[in-house]
Amino acid sequence: MILAALLLATQVAAQDPRLERLDPDTRSIVAAIVDSAHGIGLPVEPLIQRALEGATKGAPSARIVAAVRRLTVDLGTARTALGTSAVQAELEAAVAALRAGATPDVLVHLRDVRRPPLTMALSVLADLVASGVPADSAAAAVLALAPKARDADLVEFRRAVERDIALGAPPAAATSVRVNAGANAISTQSSDPGNPATPRPRRP
Amino acid sequence: MGIERVEPSDAELVRRVRAGDVGAYGALVARYRHRLGRYAVHMIGDREDAEEALQDSFVRAYRSLARCDDPARFGAWLYGILVNRCRTTGARAARRRRMFVHDAQALDGAAHADSADRLEWADAVDRALARLAPDYREAFLLKHVEDLEYEEIAELTGAGVSALKMRVKRAREQLQKYLREAEHV
Amino acid sequence: MFEQDDETTVERVIQHLRRPVAIDAGLDARVMQAIATAPPQRRRVRPLWPLLAAAAVLAAVLIARPWNRNATKADTLQFVLIAPQAASVALVGDFNDWDPARAPMQTAHGVWATVVRLAPGRYRYAFLVNGVEWRADPSAPAAKDDEFGTPSSVVTVGGRGS
Repeated sequence: MILAALLLATQVAAQDPRLERLDPDTRSIVAAIVDSAHGIGLPVEPLIQRALEGATKGAPSARIVAAVRRLTVDLGTARTALGTSAVQAELEAAVAALRAGATPDVLVHLRDVRRPPLTMALSVLADLVASGVPADSAAAAVLALAPKARDADLVEFRRAVERDIALGAPPAAATSVRVNAGANAISTQSSDPGNPATPRPRRP
Repeated sequence: MGIERVEPSDAELVRRVRAGDVGAYGALVARYRHRLGRYAVHMIGDREDAEEALQDSFVRAYRSLARCDDPARFGAWLYGILVNRCRTTGARAARRRRMFVHDAQALDGAAHADSADRLEWADAVDRALARLAPDYREAFLLKHVEDLEYEEIAELTGAGVSALKMRVKRAREQLQKYLREAEHV
Repeated sequence: MFEQDDETTVERVIQHLRRPVAIDAGLDARVMQAIATAPPQRRRVRPLWPLLAAAAVLAAVLIARPWNRNATKADTLQFVLIAPQAASVALVGDFNDWDPARAPMQTAHGVWATVVRLAPGRYRYAFLVNGVEWRADPSAPAAKDDEFGTPSSVVTVGGRGS
Protein backbone atom coordinates (compact mmCIF):
# COMPACT_ATOMS: atom_id res chain seq x y z
CA MET A 1 0.00 0.00 0.00
CA ILE A 2 2.93 2.27 0.78
CA LEU A 3 4.53 1.21 -2.49
CA ALA A 4 1.38 2.07 -4.34
CA ALA A 5 1.30 5.48 -2.73
CA LEU A 6 4.94 6.08 -3.59
CA LEU A 7 4.34 4.96 -7.15
CA LEU A 8 1.44 7.30 -7.31
CA ALA A 9 3.76 10.26 -7.52
CA THR A 10 6.04 8.86 -10.17
CA GLN A 11 3.68 6.97 -12.45
CA VAL A 12 0.51 8.90 -12.33
CA ALA A 13 -0.55 8.03 -15.82
CA ALA A 14 0.27 4.36 -15.62
CA GLN A 15 -2.08 4.05 -12.69
CA ASP A 16 -4.97 5.92 -14.26
CA PRO A 17 -7.46 3.32 -15.47
CA ARG A 18 -9.26 5.85 -17.62
CA LEU A 19 -6.45 5.76 -20.17
CA GLU A 20 -7.40 2.20 -20.93
CA ARG A 21 -9.94 3.68 -23.26
CA LEU A 22 -7.06 4.46 -25.58
CA ASP A 23 -5.51 1.79 -27.75
CA PRO A 24 -2.27 0.43 -26.27
CA ASP A 25 0.11 2.35 -28.53
CA THR A 26 -1.63 5.67 -28.05
CA ARG A 27 -1.93 4.95 -24.37
CA SER A 28 1.76 4.44 -23.82
CA ILE A 29 2.71 7.61 -25.67
CA VAL A 30 0.10 9.66 -23.86
CA ALA A 31 1.10 8.11 -20.54
CA ALA A 32 4.70 9.12 -21.15
CA ILE A 33 3.71 12.70 -21.94
CA VAL A 34 1.50 12.82 -18.88
CA ASP A 35 4.20 11.44 -16.62
CA SER A 36 6.79 13.90 -17.78
CA ALA A 37 4.31 16.74 -17.44
CA HIS A 38 3.63 15.58 -13.91
CA GLY A 39 7.35 15.41 -13.32
CA ILE A 40 7.69 19.12 -13.98
CA GLY A 41 4.74 19.91 -11.80
CA LEU A 42 2.03 20.52 -14.38
CA PRO A 43 -1.52 19.36 -13.68
CA VAL A 44 -2.26 16.11 -15.43
CA GLU A 45 -6.02 16.06 -15.28
CA PRO A 46 -6.44 18.45 -18.26
CA LEU A 47 -4.15 16.23 -20.31
CA ILE A 48 -6.09 13.13 -19.45
CA GLN A 49 -9.37 14.82 -20.25
CA ARG A 50 -8.01 15.91 -23.60
CA ALA A 51 -6.99 12.34 -24.40
CA LEU A 52 -10.37 11.02 -23.33
CA GLU A 53 -12.11 13.60 -25.47
CA GLY A 54 -10.15 12.35 -28.44
CA ALA A 55 -10.96 8.76 -27.55
CA THR A 56 -14.66 9.42 -27.30
CA LYS A 57 -14.66 11.30 -30.56
CA GLY A 58 -12.84 8.46 -32.29
CA ALA A 59 -9.93 10.67 -33.26
CA PRO A 60 -6.86 9.09 -34.85
CA SER A 61 -3.95 8.37 -32.54
CA ALA A 62 -1.72 11.04 -34.04
CA ARG A 63 -4.29 13.71 -33.38
CA ILE A 64 -4.78 12.70 -29.80
CA VAL A 65 -1.06 12.66 -29.16
CA ALA A 66 -0.62 16.03 -30.86
CA ALA A 67 -3.43 17.54 -28.81
CA VAL A 68 -2.01 16.27 -25.53
CA ARG A 69 1.47 17.48 -26.45
CA ARG A 70 0.22 20.91 -27.44
CA LEU A 71 -1.73 21.22 -24.23
CA THR A 72 1.31 20.28 -22.19
CA VAL A 73 3.34 23.00 -23.85
CA ASP A 74 0.60 25.57 -23.37
CA LEU A 75 0.13 24.66 -19.72
CA GLY A 76 3.83 25.26 -19.27
CA THR A 77 3.58 28.67 -20.89
CA ALA A 78 0.59 29.48 -18.73
CA ARG A 79 2.41 28.48 -15.61
CA THR A 80 5.44 30.54 -16.49
CA ALA A 81 3.19 33.57 -16.85
CA LEU A 82 1.00 32.97 -13.81
CA GLY A 83 3.57 31.49 -11.47
CA THR A 84 3.80 28.19 -9.66
CA SER A 85 1.02 29.06 -7.26
CA ALA A 86 -1.56 28.99 -10.04
CA VAL A 87 -4.05 26.17 -9.60
CA GLN A 88 -5.25 23.79 -12.28
CA ALA A 89 -8.42 25.73 -13.03
CA GLU A 90 -6.44 28.92 -13.59
CA LEU A 91 -3.94 27.21 -15.84
CA GLU A 92 -6.67 25.70 -17.97
CA ALA A 93 -8.37 29.05 -18.34
CA ALA A 94 -5.01 30.68 -19.07
CA VAL A 95 -4.40 28.20 -21.88
CA ALA A 96 -7.74 29.13 -23.37
CA ALA A 97 -6.85 32.81 -23.13
CA LEU A 98 -3.45 32.27 -24.74
CA ARG A 99 -4.99 30.26 -27.55
CA ALA A 100 -7.56 33.01 -28.03
CA GLY A 101 -4.70 35.40 -28.70
CA ALA A 102 -3.83 36.91 -25.35
CA THR A 103 -0.11 37.37 -24.90
CA PRO A 104 1.73 36.06 -21.83
CA ASP A 105 2.16 39.70 -20.83
CA VAL A 106 -1.58 40.01 -20.48
CA LEU A 107 -1.58 37.05 -18.09
CA VAL A 108 1.23 38.55 -16.05
CA HIS A 109 -0.59 41.85 -15.91
CA LEU A 110 -3.79 40.16 -14.83
CA ARG A 111 -1.96 38.36 -12.10
CA ASP A 112 -0.70 41.67 -10.82
CA VAL A 113 -4.05 43.42 -10.67
CA ARG A 114 -6.41 40.72 -9.52
CA ARG A 115 -6.50 38.42 -6.52
CA PRO A 116 -6.55 34.74 -7.35
CA PRO A 117 -8.26 32.72 -8.53
CA LEU A 118 -7.96 34.19 -11.98
CA THR A 119 -10.03 31.42 -13.54
CA MET A 120 -13.12 33.42 -14.40
CA ALA A 121 -11.25 36.50 -15.64
CA LEU A 122 -9.15 34.40 -18.01
CA SER A 123 -12.16 32.41 -19.11
CA VAL A 124 -14.16 35.50 -19.89
CA LEU A 125 -11.29 36.83 -21.95
CA ALA A 126 -11.20 33.64 -24.02
CA ASP A 127 -14.96 33.54 -24.33
CA LEU A 128 -15.13 37.13 -25.55
CA VAL A 129 -12.69 36.32 -28.31
CA ALA A 130 -14.76 33.27 -29.18
CA SER A 131 -17.78 35.50 -29.76
CA GLY A 132 -15.86 37.71 -32.14
CA VAL A 133 -14.22 40.36 -30.00
CA PRO A 134 -10.67 41.09 -31.19
CA ALA A 135 -8.13 39.67 -28.77
CA ASP A 136 -6.60 42.98 -27.79
CA SER A 137 -10.01 44.54 -27.14
CA ALA A 138 -11.00 41.59 -25.02
CA ALA A 139 -7.75 41.74 -23.09
CA ALA A 140 -8.04 45.47 -22.54
CA ALA A 141 -11.62 45.07 -21.33
CA VAL A 142 -10.85 42.30 -18.88
CA LEU A 143 -7.79 44.10 -17.54
CA ALA A 144 -9.86 47.24 -17.04
CA LEU A 145 -12.49 45.39 -15.04
CA ALA A 146 -10.20 42.94 -13.31
CA PRO A 147 -9.11 44.99 -10.31
CA LYS A 148 -12.60 45.50 -8.90
CA ALA A 149 -15.06 43.16 -10.60
CA ARG A 150 -16.30 40.02 -8.92
CA ASP A 151 -16.42 36.83 -10.92
CA ALA A 152 -20.16 37.21 -11.31
CA ASP A 153 -19.69 40.71 -12.71
CA LEU A 154 -17.28 39.44 -15.31
CA VAL A 155 -19.74 36.76 -16.38
CA GLU A 156 -22.49 39.33 -16.64
CA PHE A 157 -20.18 41.53 -18.69
CA ARG A 158 -19.45 38.73 -21.09
CA ARG A 159 -23.15 37.95 -21.48
CA ALA A 160 -23.99 41.59 -22.09
CA VAL A 161 -21.37 41.87 -24.80
CA GLU A 162 -22.62 38.70 -26.45
CA ARG A 163 -26.16 40.02 -26.42
CA ASP A 164 -25.06 43.25 -28.05
CA ILE A 165 -23.13 41.41 -30.72
CA ALA A 166 -26.12 39.20 -31.38
CA LEU A 167 -28.16 42.34 -31.86
CA GLY A 168 -25.71 43.54 -34.47
CA ALA A 169 -23.19 45.69 -32.62
CA PRO A 170 -19.59 45.54 -33.83
CA PRO A 171 -17.79 43.40 -31.26
CA ALA A 172 -15.05 45.85 -30.32
CA ALA A 173 -17.54 48.68 -29.89
CA ALA A 174 -19.88 46.51 -27.85
CA THR A 175 -16.98 45.68 -25.60
CA SER A 176 -15.87 49.22 -24.88
CA VAL A 177 -19.41 50.41 -24.23
CA ARG A 178 -19.95 47.61 -21.78
CA VAL A 179 -16.64 48.19 -20.06
CA ASN A 180 -17.71 51.71 -19.17
CA ALA A 181 -21.10 50.51 -18.05
CA GLY A 182 -19.51 47.68 -16.13
CA ALA A 183 -17.04 49.92 -14.36
CA ASN A 184 -19.89 52.18 -13.24
CA ALA A 185 -22.00 49.29 -12.07
CA ILE A 186 -19.21 47.86 -9.97
CA SER A 187 -18.38 51.12 -8.32
CA THR A 188 -21.99 51.60 -7.23
CA GLN A 189 -22.06 48.07 -5.85
CA SER A 190 -25.23 47.16 -7.66
CA SER A 191 -26.16 43.54 -7.81
CA ASP A 192 -29.26 41.57 -8.46
CA PRO A 193 -30.01 39.17 -5.66
CA GLY A 194 -32.30 37.12 -7.85
CA ASN A 195 -34.86 35.03 -6.08
CA PRO A 196 -33.48 33.78 -2.80
CA ALA A 197 -36.49 31.66 -2.09
CA THR A 198 -35.95 29.01 -4.72
CA PRO A 199 -32.41 29.03 -6.11
CA ARG A 200 -32.45 27.29 -9.47
CA PRO A 201 -29.36 25.70 -10.94
CA ARG A 202 -27.77 28.21 -13.23
CA ARG A 203 -27.04 27.81 -16.91
CA PRO A 204 -23.63 28.00 -18.55
CA MET B 1 12.89 -16.28 6.39
CA GLY B 2 11.01 -13.46 4.82
CA ILE B 3 11.74 -9.79 4.86
CA GLU B 4 9.85 -8.05 7.58
CA ARG B 5 7.87 -5.17 6.29
CA VAL B 6 7.58 -2.57 8.96
CA GLU B 7 5.36 0.35 8.18
CA PRO B 8 7.28 3.60 8.41
CA SER B 9 6.23 5.84 11.27
CA ASP B 10 4.63 9.20 10.70
CA ALA B 11 7.87 10.87 11.71
CA GLU B 12 9.79 8.85 9.14
CA LEU B 13 7.33 9.68 6.39
CA VAL B 14 7.38 13.37 7.27
CA ARG B 15 11.14 13.28 7.19
CA ARG B 16 11.06 11.75 3.72
CA VAL B 17 8.57 14.29 2.43
CA ARG B 18 10.71 17.11 3.73
CA ALA B 19 13.68 15.55 1.99
CA GLY B 20 11.79 15.81 -1.29
CA ASP B 21 9.94 12.48 -1.56
CA VAL B 22 6.50 13.73 -2.46
CA GLY B 23 5.21 10.20 -2.83
CA ALA B 24 5.73 9.57 0.86
CA TYR B 25 2.99 12.08 1.53
CA GLY B 26 0.64 9.76 -0.32
CA ALA B 27 1.26 7.20 2.39
CA LEU B 28 0.30 9.72 5.05
CA VAL B 29 -2.87 10.61 3.18
CA ALA B 30 -3.82 6.95 2.91
CA ARG B 31 -3.08 6.46 6.58
CA TYR B 32 -5.31 9.28 7.81
CA ARG B 33 -7.92 9.59 5.16
CA HIS B 34 -10.63 7.52 6.80
CA ARG B 35 -10.26 8.72 10.35
CA LEU B 36 -10.21 12.36 9.38
CA GLY B 37 -12.94 11.70 6.84
CA ARG B 38 -15.17 10.33 9.53
CA TYR B 39 -14.78 13.45 11.64
CA ALA B 40 -15.32 15.76 8.67
CA VAL B 41 -18.47 13.96 7.54
CA HIS B 42 -20.07 14.04 10.97
CA MET B 43 -18.97 17.55 11.75
CA ILE B 44 -20.00 19.12 8.47
CA GLY B 45 -22.97 16.88 7.73
CA ASP B 46 -22.53 16.95 3.98
CA ARG B 47 -20.48 14.34 2.18
CA GLU B 48 -19.19 16.57 -0.61
CA ASP B 49 -18.32 19.47 1.63
CA ALA B 50 -16.61 17.09 4.00
CA GLU B 51 -14.47 15.58 1.26
CA GLU B 52 -13.58 19.04 0.05
CA ALA B 53 -12.59 20.07 3.57
CA LEU B 54 -10.59 16.89 3.91
CA GLN B 55 -8.81 17.39 0.63
CA ASP B 56 -8.06 21.01 1.46
CA SER B 57 -6.69 20.04 4.83
CA PHE B 58 -4.33 17.47 3.39
CA VAL B 59 -3.06 19.94 0.81
CA ARG B 60 -2.68 22.67 3.39
CA ALA B 61 -0.82 20.33 5.69
CA TYR B 62 1.58 19.43 2.92
CA ARG B 63 2.26 23.04 2.08
CA SER B 64 2.94 23.98 5.67
CA LEU B 65 4.73 20.79 6.62
CA ALA B 66 7.75 22.83 7.62
CA ARG B 67 5.65 24.17 10.47
CA CYS B 68 4.87 20.76 11.94
CA ASP B 69 7.05 20.99 15.03
CA ASP B 70 6.79 17.38 16.13
CA PRO B 71 6.64 14.98 13.17
CA ALA B 72 5.89 12.11 15.52
CA ARG B 73 2.61 13.85 16.29
CA PHE B 74 1.79 14.57 12.66
CA GLY B 75 -1.67 13.06 13.10
CA ALA B 76 -2.66 15.42 15.88
CA TRP B 77 -1.26 18.39 13.96
CA LEU B 78 -3.21 17.33 10.88
CA TYR B 79 -6.33 17.05 13.02
CA GLY B 80 -5.84 20.66 14.08
CA ILE B 81 -5.79 21.77 10.47
CA LEU B 82 -8.92 19.76 9.71
CA VAL B 83 -10.81 21.01 12.76
CA ASN B 84 -10.13 24.59 11.74
CA ARG B 85 -11.03 23.95 8.14
CA CYS B 86 -14.33 22.35 9.16
CA ARG B 87 -15.20 25.47 11.11
CA THR B 88 -15.03 27.64 8.03
CA THR B 89 -17.46 25.57 6.04
CA GLY B 90 -20.23 27.53 7.63
CA ALA B 91 -23.35 26.73 9.56
CA ARG B 92 -25.01 23.61 8.23
CA ALA B 93 -26.96 22.83 11.36
CA ALA B 94 -30.10 24.45 10.03
CA ARG B 95 -30.21 22.31 6.94
CA ARG B 96 -31.36 18.76 7.32
CA ARG B 97 -29.51 16.55 5.03
CA ARG B 98 -29.31 12.85 4.53
CA MET B 99 -25.84 11.51 4.87
CA PHE B 100 -24.23 8.38 3.61
CA VAL B 101 -25.30 6.31 6.54
CA HIS B 102 -27.72 4.73 4.14
CA ASP B 103 -25.18 2.53 2.50
CA ALA B 104 -24.40 -1.13 2.72
CA GLN B 105 -22.20 -0.68 5.75
CA ALA B 106 -24.95 0.77 7.87
CA LEU B 107 -27.28 -2.04 7.08
CA ASP B 108 -24.86 -4.93 7.16
CA GLY B 109 -26.74 -8.12 7.63
CA ALA B 110 -29.87 -6.54 9.05
CA ALA B 111 -33.20 -8.13 8.21
CA HIS B 112 -35.55 -6.19 6.02
CA ALA B 113 -37.86 -4.99 8.75
CA ASP B 114 -34.87 -4.11 10.87
CA SER B 115 -33.21 -2.07 8.15
CA ALA B 116 -36.10 0.33 7.92
CA ASP B 117 -35.83 0.90 11.64
CA ARG B 118 -32.07 1.26 11.47
CA LEU B 119 -32.34 3.77 8.64
CA GLU B 120 -34.85 5.78 10.56
CA TRP B 121 -32.72 5.77 13.63
CA ALA B 122 -29.56 6.62 11.72
CA ASP B 123 -31.47 9.49 10.21
CA ALA B 124 -32.59 10.67 13.61
CA VAL B 125 -29.01 10.61 14.80
CA ASP B 126 -27.86 12.66 11.82
CA ARG B 127 -30.53 15.24 12.46
CA ALA B 128 -29.86 15.39 16.17
CA LEU B 129 -26.16 15.88 15.51
CA ALA B 130 -26.89 18.63 13.02
CA ARG B 131 -28.98 20.43 15.60
CA LEU B 132 -26.15 20.71 18.09
CA ALA B 133 -24.30 23.98 18.27
CA PRO B 134 -21.08 23.64 16.27
CA ASP B 135 -18.76 23.85 19.25
CA TYR B 136 -20.77 21.25 21.13
CA ARG B 137 -20.74 18.96 18.12
CA GLU B 138 -17.04 19.52 17.61
CA ALA B 139 -16.18 18.71 21.22
CA PHE B 140 -18.49 15.70 21.30
CA LEU B 141 -17.07 14.19 18.12
CA LEU B 142 -13.46 14.77 19.07
CA LYS B 143 -13.95 13.28 22.51
CA HIS B 144 -16.30 10.37 21.96
CA VAL B 145 -15.87 9.45 18.33
CA GLU B 146 -12.27 10.36 17.65
CA ASP B 147 -11.15 9.41 21.17
CA LEU B 148 -8.93 12.38 21.78
CA GLU B 149 -7.99 13.36 25.30
CA TYR B 150 -9.33 16.60 26.63
CA GLU B 151 -5.81 18.05 26.73
CA GLU B 152 -5.37 17.25 23.05
CA ILE B 153 -8.73 18.74 22.18
CA ALA B 154 -7.82 21.83 24.15
CA GLU B 155 -4.68 22.20 22.07
CA LEU B 156 -6.56 21.81 18.81
CA THR B 157 -9.44 24.07 19.59
CA GLY B 158 -7.92 26.63 21.90
CA ALA B 159 -10.66 26.07 24.45
CA GLY B 160 -10.02 25.23 28.09
CA VAL B 161 -10.47 21.70 29.39
CA SER B 162 -13.34 22.53 31.72
CA ALA B 163 -15.14 24.45 28.97
CA LEU B 164 -14.74 21.42 26.74
CA LYS B 165 -16.09 19.06 29.37
CA MET B 166 -19.12 21.28 29.71
CA ARG B 167 -19.66 21.28 25.95
CA VAL B 168 -19.46 17.52 25.77
CA LYS B 169 -21.89 17.20 28.65
CA ARG B 170 -24.32 19.60 26.99
CA ALA B 171 -23.95 17.76 23.73
CA ARG B 172 -24.85 14.48 25.38
CA GLU B 173 -27.88 16.03 27.06
CA GLN B 174 -29.10 17.60 23.87
CA LEU B 175 -28.62 14.46 21.82
CA GLN B 176 -30.69 12.53 24.34
CA LYS B 177 -33.37 15.18 24.19
CA TYR B 178 -33.52 15.32 20.40
CA LEU B 179 -33.64 11.58 20.07
CA ARG B 180 -36.41 11.37 22.64
CA GLU B 181 -38.31 13.97 20.62
CA ALA B 182 -37.74 12.00 17.45
CA GLU B 183 -39.16 8.94 19.08
CA HIS B 184 -42.35 10.69 20.00
CA VAL B 185 -43.00 12.28 16.64
CA MET C 1 -37.83 1.24 19.40
CA PHE C 2 -35.56 3.86 20.93
CA GLU C 3 -34.00 3.02 24.24
CA GLN C 4 -35.65 4.56 27.25
CA ASP C 5 -32.39 4.72 29.10
CA ASP C 6 -30.72 7.96 28.07
CA GLU C 7 -27.18 6.90 28.83
CA THR C 8 -27.62 3.86 26.64
CA THR C 9 -29.01 6.06 23.90
CA VAL C 10 -25.93 8.21 23.87
CA GLU C 11 -23.72 5.15 23.86
CA ARG C 12 -25.61 3.81 20.87
CA VAL C 13 -25.14 7.13 19.12
CA ILE C 14 -21.43 6.99 19.79
CA GLN C 15 -21.11 3.45 18.52
CA HIS C 16 -23.02 4.40 15.44
CA LEU C 17 -20.88 7.44 14.74
CA ARG C 18 -17.70 5.48 15.22
CA ARG C 19 -18.46 3.31 12.24
CA PRO C 20 -16.00 3.73 9.41
CA VAL C 21 -17.07 6.24 6.83
CA ALA C 22 -16.17 5.46 3.25
CA ILE C 23 -14.19 8.23 1.64
CA ASP C 24 -13.95 8.39 -2.12
CA ALA C 25 -10.70 6.75 -3.17
CA GLY C 26 -10.13 9.49 -5.71
CA LEU C 27 -9.37 11.84 -2.87
CA ASP C 28 -5.82 10.57 -2.55
CA ALA C 29 -5.18 11.22 -6.23
CA ARG C 30 -6.72 14.67 -6.03
CA VAL C 31 -4.56 15.57 -3.06
CA MET C 32 -1.41 14.33 -4.74
CA GLN C 33 -2.24 16.17 -7.90
CA ALA C 34 -2.94 19.40 -6.06
CA ILE C 35 0.37 19.02 -4.32
CA ALA C 36 2.20 18.36 -7.55
CA THR C 37 1.02 21.60 -9.08
CA ALA C 38 2.47 23.70 -6.29
CA PRO C 39 5.64 22.45 -4.62
CA PRO C 40 6.09 23.39 -0.96
CA GLN C 41 8.53 26.21 -1.35
CA ARG C 42 7.77 29.64 -0.07
CA ARG C 43 5.43 31.29 -2.53
CA ARG C 44 3.94 34.69 -1.88
CA VAL C 45 4.04 35.04 1.85
CA ARG C 46 0.39 35.07 2.79
CA PRO C 47 -0.57 33.78 6.22
CA LEU C 48 -3.43 31.34 5.95
CA TRP C 49 -5.24 31.76 9.23
CA PRO C 50 -6.27 35.41 8.87
CA LEU C 51 -7.69 34.48 5.48
CA LEU C 52 -9.57 31.58 7.01
CA ALA C 53 -11.00 33.80 9.69
CA ALA C 54 -12.06 36.35 7.10
CA ALA C 55 -13.58 33.62 4.99
CA ALA C 56 -15.55 32.39 7.97
CA VAL C 57 -16.98 35.83 8.57
CA LEU C 58 -17.76 36.26 4.91
CA ALA C 59 -19.41 32.85 4.75
CA ALA C 60 -21.57 33.70 7.71
CA VAL C 61 -22.68 36.93 6.09
CA LEU C 62 -23.36 35.41 2.71
CA ILE C 63 -24.87 32.14 3.77
CA ALA C 64 -28.42 33.27 3.17
CA ARG C 65 -27.84 34.39 -0.39
CA PRO C 66 -27.75 31.55 -2.90
CA TRP C 67 -26.52 33.76 -5.72
CA ASN C 68 -23.27 34.17 -3.85
CA ARG C 69 -22.98 30.73 -2.39
CA ASN C 70 -20.49 29.47 -4.92
CA ALA C 71 -17.75 31.72 -3.64
CA THR C 72 -15.61 28.84 -2.57
CA LYS C 73 -17.29 25.66 -3.61
CA ALA C 74 -19.01 23.73 -6.34
CA ASP C 75 -21.79 25.16 -8.43
CA THR C 76 -24.85 23.35 -9.73
CA LEU C 77 -25.57 23.90 -13.39
CA GLN C 78 -28.34 22.91 -15.70
CA PHE C 79 -27.56 21.95 -19.29
CA VAL C 80 -30.32 22.11 -21.87
CA LEU C 81 -30.60 21.12 -25.51
CA ILE C 82 -33.68 21.35 -27.68
CA ALA C 83 -33.70 18.30 -29.93
CA PRO C 84 -37.21 17.03 -30.58
CA GLN C 85 -36.08 14.42 -33.08
CA ALA C 86 -33.39 12.91 -30.92
CA ALA C 87 -33.70 9.44 -29.43
CA SER C 88 -30.93 10.04 -26.92
CA VAL C 89 -28.75 12.92 -25.82
CA ALA C 90 -25.73 12.66 -23.55
CA LEU C 91 -23.75 15.44 -21.95
CA VAL C 92 -20.03 14.79 -22.19
CA GLY C 93 -17.12 16.93 -21.16
CA ASP C 94 -14.06 17.49 -19.05
CA PHE C 95 -16.13 16.96 -15.92
CA ASN C 96 -17.14 13.38 -16.71
CA ASP C 97 -14.23 11.96 -18.68
CA TRP C 98 -16.10 12.51 -21.95
CA ASP C 99 -18.03 9.36 -21.15
CA PRO C 100 -21.50 9.30 -22.75
CA ALA C 101 -22.74 6.81 -20.17
CA ARG C 102 -22.19 9.20 -17.29
CA ALA C 103 -24.70 11.94 -18.00
CA PRO C 104 -27.56 10.82 -20.18
CA MET C 105 -30.10 13.59 -20.36
CA GLN C 106 -33.82 13.45 -19.65
CA THR C 107 -36.39 14.77 -22.06
CA ALA C 108 -39.81 16.30 -22.01
CA HIS C 109 -41.40 17.53 -25.25
CA GLY C 110 -38.13 17.59 -27.11
CA VAL C 111 -36.29 19.59 -24.45
CA TRP C 112 -33.37 17.61 -23.05
CA ALA C 113 -31.87 18.56 -19.73
CA THR C 114 -29.63 17.44 -16.94
CA VAL C 115 -28.10 18.98 -13.85
CA VAL C 116 -24.46 18.65 -12.92
CA ARG C 117 -22.44 19.75 -9.93
CA LEU C 118 -19.09 21.29 -10.85
CA ALA C 119 -16.09 22.32 -8.81
CA PRO C 120 -14.41 25.59 -9.83
CA GLY C 121 -12.74 25.33 -13.21
CA ARG C 122 -13.13 25.74 -16.93
CA TYR C 123 -14.73 22.81 -18.72
CA ARG C 124 -15.11 21.95 -22.39
CA TYR C 125 -18.20 19.95 -23.18
CA ALA C 126 -20.66 18.99 -25.89
CA PHE C 127 -23.88 17.09 -26.45
CA LEU C 128 -23.77 13.71 -28.13
CA VAL C 129 -27.03 13.15 -29.96
CA ASN C 130 -28.12 9.61 -30.82
CA GLY C 131 -24.66 8.45 -29.98
CA VAL C 132 -23.21 9.83 -33.19
CA GLU C 133 -23.82 13.53 -33.70
CA TRP C 134 -21.82 16.16 -31.82
CA ARG C 135 -23.49 19.43 -30.99
CA ALA C 136 -22.24 22.47 -29.18
CA ASP C 137 -24.41 24.24 -26.66
CA PRO C 138 -26.09 27.13 -28.46
CA SER C 139 -26.44 29.08 -25.24
CA ALA C 140 -22.85 28.81 -24.12
CA PRO C 141 -19.53 30.24 -25.26
CA ALA C 142 -17.90 28.20 -27.99
CA ALA C 143 -14.70 26.31 -27.37
CA LYS C 144 -12.50 27.68 -30.09
CA ASP C 145 -9.54 25.40 -29.61
CA ASP C 146 -11.14 22.30 -30.99
CA GLU C 147 -8.60 19.96 -32.44
CA PHE C 148 -10.82 16.94 -33.00
CA GLY C 149 -12.99 18.52 -35.63
CA THR C 150 -16.24 18.60 -33.69
CA PRO C 151 -17.93 21.55 -31.99
CA SER C 152 -17.63 22.04 -28.24
CA SER C 153 -18.71 24.60 -25.69
CA VAL C 154 -17.27 25.98 -22.52
CA VAL C 155 -18.62 26.42 -19.02
CA THR C 156 -16.63 28.10 -16.27
CA VAL C 157 -17.22 27.94 -12.56
CA GLY C 158 -15.43 30.64 -10.61
CA GLY C 159 -14.16 30.43 -7.10
CA ARG C 160 -11.31 28.73 -5.43
CA GLY C 161 -9.98 25.67 -7.19
CA SER C 162 -8.05 22.89 -5.53
